[in-house]
Amino acid sequence: MQGLAGAAALTSTTLPVHAARSAGESAYSPTFFTPAEWAFLHAACDRLIPQDAVGPGAIALGVPEFIDRQMATPYAFGKLWYMQAPFVQGPANLGYQLPYAPRDIYRKGIAGAATFVQAKYGKAFGDLDAATRDEILSGFEKGDTLFGDLPAKIFFAQLLGNTMEGAFSDPSHGGNKGLGGWTTIGFPGARADFMDWVDQYGKQYPLGTVAISGETA
Amino acid sequence: MRQFKRVAAAALFGSLGVAMAGLPAIVPAARAQAPAPAASGLLAQGEYVARASDCVACHTAPGGTPFAGGLPFALPMGTIYAPNITPDAQTGIGKYTEAEFARAVREGVRRDGASLYPAMPFPSYARMTDADIHALYVYFMQGVKPVANTVKASTIPWPLSMRWPLIGWRMMFAPSVKDAQAKSARSFADPVLARGAYLVEGPGHCGACHSPRAITMQEVALTSADGTRFLAGGGSVDGWIPTSLRGENRTGLGRWSEDDIVEFLKAGRIRRGSAFGGMSDAVGHGTQHLTDEDLHAIARYLKALPPDDTTQTPWTYDATLATALHAGDVSARGARTYVDSCAACHRTDGQGYPTVFPPLGGNPVVMDKTPDSLIHIVLTGDILRATHDAPSAFVMPGFAGRLSDEKVADVVSFIRKAWGNNAAPVTAQDVARVRKSLPKEEGEAPLPLN
Repeated sequence: MQGLAGAAALTSTTLPVHAARSAGESAYSPTFFTPAEWAFLHAACDRLIPQDAVGPGAIALGVPEFIDRQMATPYAFGKLWYMQAPFVQGPANLGYQLPYAPRDIYRKGIAGAATFVQAKYGKAFGDLDAATRDEILSGFEKGDTLFGDLPAKIFFAQLLGNTMEGAFSDPSHGGNKGLGGWTTIGFPGARADFMDWVDQYGKQYPLGTVAISGETA
Repeated sequence: MRQFKRVAAAALFGSLGVAMAGLPAIVPAARAQAPAPAASGLLAQGEYVARASDCVACHTAPGGTPFAGGLPFALPMGTIYAPNITPDAQTGIGKYTEAEFARAVREGVRRDGASLYPAMPFPSYARMTDADIHALYVYFMQGVKPVANTVKASTIPWPLSMRWPLIGWRMMFAPSVKDAQAKSARSFADPVLARGAYLVEGPGHCGACHSPRAITMQEVALTSADGTRFLAGGGSVDGWIPTSLRGENRTGLGRWSEDDIVEFLKAGRIRRGSAFGGMSDAVGHGTQHLTDEDLHAIARYLKALPPDDTTQTPWTYDATLATALHAGDVSARGARTYVDSCAACHRTDGQGYPTVFPPLGGNPVVMDKTPDSLIHIVLTGDILRATHDAPSAFVMPGFAGRLSDEKVADVVSFIRKAWGNNAAPVTAQDVARVRKSLPKEEGEAPLPLN
């Protein structure tokens, strides 16, 4: 996960900067995120998967919409996790131990990041250029910044994970619009049949991708 | 047996002009005598005859007690409900004497003298033997528990609710028991064939679905002696088209062996195809419970029926389109949709994974002149039901929510011409017609969740 983010962040420094809200500010209105959070989410997702020569970015793929819709699922409320006290922090191999469900991580994380950025740069995150945003996100990913009792690392990992889910899950969930995510990586989609190809070694798979809804690209 | 819509409508309207012999005398309510307990052999025989006759299919409401009635039949002029045939004295057939029972089953006349709607296949049951009727009667009176279930009254308004016009239909189109039995007793060189004829033409009432009907809704042929239209494929039943059971090479049973037919009727699935639509019920309630001897008799009898359509060239597998798909060439009409939505189970070579997923190449249903069954199953999907011999069930998802009329037309046309099939293509209008005719919950199927 972090490797991909690193690659994305790396690539972004050499490519033209795209304004955070130029491509994807669609008709969708969020139900979980506040307007300020929504702006932050766009500005951050736009750097995690930037639009470039390889393919569409997170904004064009509808990733913020995906994450907002995801925040209404049981997963986002922590209902798929064991969430009973006591919440004791242990070694890394015991995994996530905080009392926060994904919705809490976004609330606290975005607020903490906004305060951090405002203090350091005197601006909102979304008003910074791409290179600066990359630098900030990389700092969250690797550094020891804390947003209260929430490590910035945790927030970054949550955001990156959900961003990739939005970019590469079936379009019925709101992301991967126009099957752009799947097309970018050459994933053939929900076809579930490759029996003709198992013995055609070295051949390029020629068929485009298909969504569960039957949409093709 | 759900030909009801057309049968009843024609019977009600079509026979009004027929000269009536007069209203039937009301039979005095002679009480059935308290029966002596029957030997278990007789009960078992009666249950077997009930299976062979598939009484339960129509006389059971969805999720209801077997034989307690209540299955609705929605007609243009109202809804009627199949009667309770458990031996409950008040709400069932508990007061029927054996003679009254025999008259209802074989002649379509109720205990009070009223005519039954011809949804009841009495023109076929007419040829049932006295011995079988006796066993059936004993089974229903002693082997079936009485269930007090008052079936809802018909909602057909007067005057259409009058049943006397049905007398004319019966007189014109239903054979007398004497004639029917005489015909059934025609000579066969092979006693197995004679048994098969009895089962198919009599209790099995296969022709109720698989024989074409005239405009007045009677089956155009009731036995194999009545010509090659018998079992040559029937009209739509709940949106499914019953295929020919005769020897047509492409659309009938011409390439099925006797053993194929036996196995199909037993397990509901063979290497050549799987039961779906209305046939699922027929296998589930009925044929899977028959003895191997009787299934062989049925199969041998069906194999003895020459084709009605004698123009069909023999089907042979043609690999052209399969080869193209294998190479990733999806330029043929409907090919991409087939690869995206169908090939995972039915394979690009059209051979499926029998007996889990049936083959489409050479499948008689696929090449039927009327494409409705194929369109219907693409739209709604269906369940390959568990049977005693094949206890796993498999689901085909419906694609109504995934494919437009145009795409369904494309893919159905592809299936009808690939792998040696040679049936005519279909249009988006055909698909729209079938889609419109489906019950709403079927037409608006959700995305496939397989």
